[in-house]
Amino acid sequence: MKQACATLPKTLRLLALAVALSPMLAAMPVLADDYSDVNQLLRGGKFSDALAKADQYLQGKPRDPQMRFIKGVVQSESGKPFDAIATFTKLTEDYPELPEPYNNLAVLYAGQNQLDKARTALEMAIRTNPSYTTAHENLGDVYAKLASQAYAKALQLDANNNAVQPKLALIRELFAPAGKGQRPGTTVAATPIPTQAPVPTTPTSKPPPVVTPVSPLPPPVLVPISPAPPPATTPAVAPAAGSKDVENAVHAWASAWAAKDMTGYLNAYGKEFDTPGNQSRQSWEEERRKRILGKSSISVKLHDLTVTVKGNTATARFKQEYAANSLSASSRKTLEMSKVGERWLIVKEHSGS
Amino acid sequence: MFVLPPSRALLAFLFAVIFGAFLPASLAAEGVRQSRLKSTTTESDISTLATSDLSAARRDGQAEAKLLEVYRLIGQGQILPALKQAEALVKAHPNFQLAQLVYGDLLSSRSRPLRILGDVPDTTARIAAPVLGELREESQMRIKALRERPPAGTVPSQFLRLSSRNRHAIAVDASRSRLYLFENTSSGLQMIADYYISVGKLGVEKSVEGDLRTPLGVYFITSTISQRKLKDLYGAGALPINYPNPLDTRRGKTGSGIWLHGTPSAQFARPPKASDGCVVLANPDLEFIMNTVEIRNTPVVIAPSLKWVPPQSILPEVSVFEGVLQSWRTAKSTGNLPRTLSFYAPDFNNEGQNLSAWTSIVQKEMTKAAGREIALKDLSVLRWTDNGTDTMVVTFGEVIEGTITGPKKRQYWVRQGNQWKIFFEGIIG
Repeated sequence: MKQACATLPKTLRLLALAVALSPMLAAMPVLADDYSDVNQLLRGGKFSDALAKADQYLQGKPRDPQMRFIKGVVQSESGKPFDAIATFTKLTEDYPELPEPYNNLAVLYAGQNQLDKARTALEMAIRTNPSYTTAHENLGDVYAKLASQAYAKALQLDANNNAVQPKLALIRELFAPAGKGQRPGTTVAATPIPTQAPVPTTPTSKPPPVVTPVSPLPPPVLVPISPAPPPATTPAVAPAAGSKDVENAVHAWASAWAAKDMTGYLNAYGKEFDTPGNQSRQSWEEERRKRILGKSSISVKLHDLTVTVKGNTATARFKQEYAANSLSASSRKTLEMSKVGERWLIVKEHSGS
Repeated sequence: MFVLPPSRALLAFLFAVIFGAFLPASLAAEGVRQSRLKSTTTESDISTLATSDLSAARRDGQAEAKLLEVYRLIGQGQILPALKQAEALVKAHPNFQLAQLVYGDLLSSRSRPLRILGDVPDTTARIAAPVLGELREESQMRIKALRERPPAGTVPSQFLRLSSRNRHAIAVDASRSRLYLFENTSSGLQMIADYYISVGKLGVEKSVEGDLRTPLGVYFITSTISQRKLKDLYGAGALPINYPNPLDTRRGKTGSGIWLHGTPSAQFARPPKASDGCVVLANPDLEFIMNTVEIRNTPVVIAPSLKWVPPQSILPEVSVFEGVLQSWRTAKSTGNLPRTLSFYAPDFNNEGQNLSAWTSIVQKEMTKAAGREIALKDLSVLRWTDNGTDTMVVTFGEVIEGTITGPKKRQYWVRQGNQWKIFFEGIIG
């Protein structure tokens, strides 16, 4: 890692040169490295290193929301809630249209049992982005918690057993801040090599904005992309072999969810499933169990499902309409799938704006 | 896009069912608030008001008004405004348990349908069943008090005549968990406030010490006790009343220490039946009463349920009785001892003094009057009927013509057959 730190500035300088040389090249390729580098340090528990790297980057680009967001996540995970709150708060001031910082503020406030602040932050998140499922689910949790506190006061029950603060779901990635409808692209402009200049301008739907969501996936994302348009971003790609199987797997997963079939639902996720919020697999499963079984009825409908298969990995993107009890929300979703034996399993799941 | 729950009309209906089929928007919320807004600072009242109260905004009854507003909004299906109001209410009164319950319900309603007022999880409902039941009862009482108002222009049937010395009067309806405060104006008794109250744990009709019941009858406030002299349980202060009164004593009733008092700091209001016999009010309400009424001159009628009558309808009854009273006065004025004594019941008793003992007092007073006319100043007459017994509680200043003052007296008359007899007479000031 130290070496990476040492080489980074060099890469940056290279990049600067490349930028000067090639107007077509957006700055992302090297940035992609930085974001995922910090994320990797974070996952490895190397918080001070992650923080240092982030700060280093931010010296050059102090306003960069993506890195600031990641820094906030690092601070939060490393047990510095007040610093994290400051980071996210500043982000909400500079980029009030982003729901993710609000959501994470809510998570931090809830952790401090400041439920009213958590509620306000989540309501802001939803205001900027009404279909953001995570914020809705978190808000439902906050409401339930506030309700149980009010009930405890009403019935003069010992409120001490309310000491367990609701654990809300932290969002780990900042998605496209400019414009709704952006889906997290897994392969957007992910090349570190300046010579790949044309790549970012391949006819993907829209030119990626300055700060593109970059998912902290392992190397495949960073592999220099051939001049051929990255298949994943083109909806019109011919159905590859296996895409039908992927579709079936996705539908089976949605059906299990709606039927509250926990076995079927959880089995749709692979062993290497990237659990959100740095949770252990077990605690993630428990949370899903609670959330799903706790509803009297669930309806999950998928629309505009597009599947792209690349060997043993696939990406499924769709519009998800979710309704449970008196809540309903529709959002875009992406499932990264991986083929294990004969089955397609989910290894990553994210909602988008 | 985030979608609201299906049918707002359905939701409104649901809430109406939950909160007791309440609240077409036209319900008398406005009427109640108007009576609340009427100013009490008339000239005649200045002397009875603590100076600090003259400029203070009225805080009595406000918490309940806000709660009823929340109910009203719920009934109209305006859940978010209701939630906002409920939130403000519990912030102002965190110890208002009923408000917290409603607030909890409104929060819960954001993610699931409500089944009942106080829709707590089943385990909690089991543990807290008694408290939950009491809160629902309190809620029903408050709603009922809003829906069912005393008819305009009526007064409780006990108030036959009040004097200008009785600036205020109080009546308690135990079945409604309600206390009504009146101002005695030049145009008669006007209700100026009404409040939710609690009575004894075992209800009403106190008869013995420790029976956890609130007494029924005509009483007077005897004194006032300030907060600093009292335990937290009594809240903002206390107004003791004269239980046992002479009628209670005649009936052999025991017990003491019946007060109007406030609530402890942990509770804004208590369940409808909660006390050891006292009448309990929320602190802002009690404070207003303490700052408004004059001790010793304020009657407190406590009835199982009040009968509201137009004042004019009482007049015939008043005049019949006052005819008898005047006969007694005349007999005494003319120094006619036997005739005077004929108005007294054989079992007359004033704290151990029987009729023959009292006779010497009557004689002394007659001698003092020396044939001069005796006037009954500041006369008040209250009627109390129960268990087939009719009584009159009469208060006056017995002033000999040509003098300025005389003893303040209270008489208790009982109807025996078709005659009225005095079974208690005492000097009270």
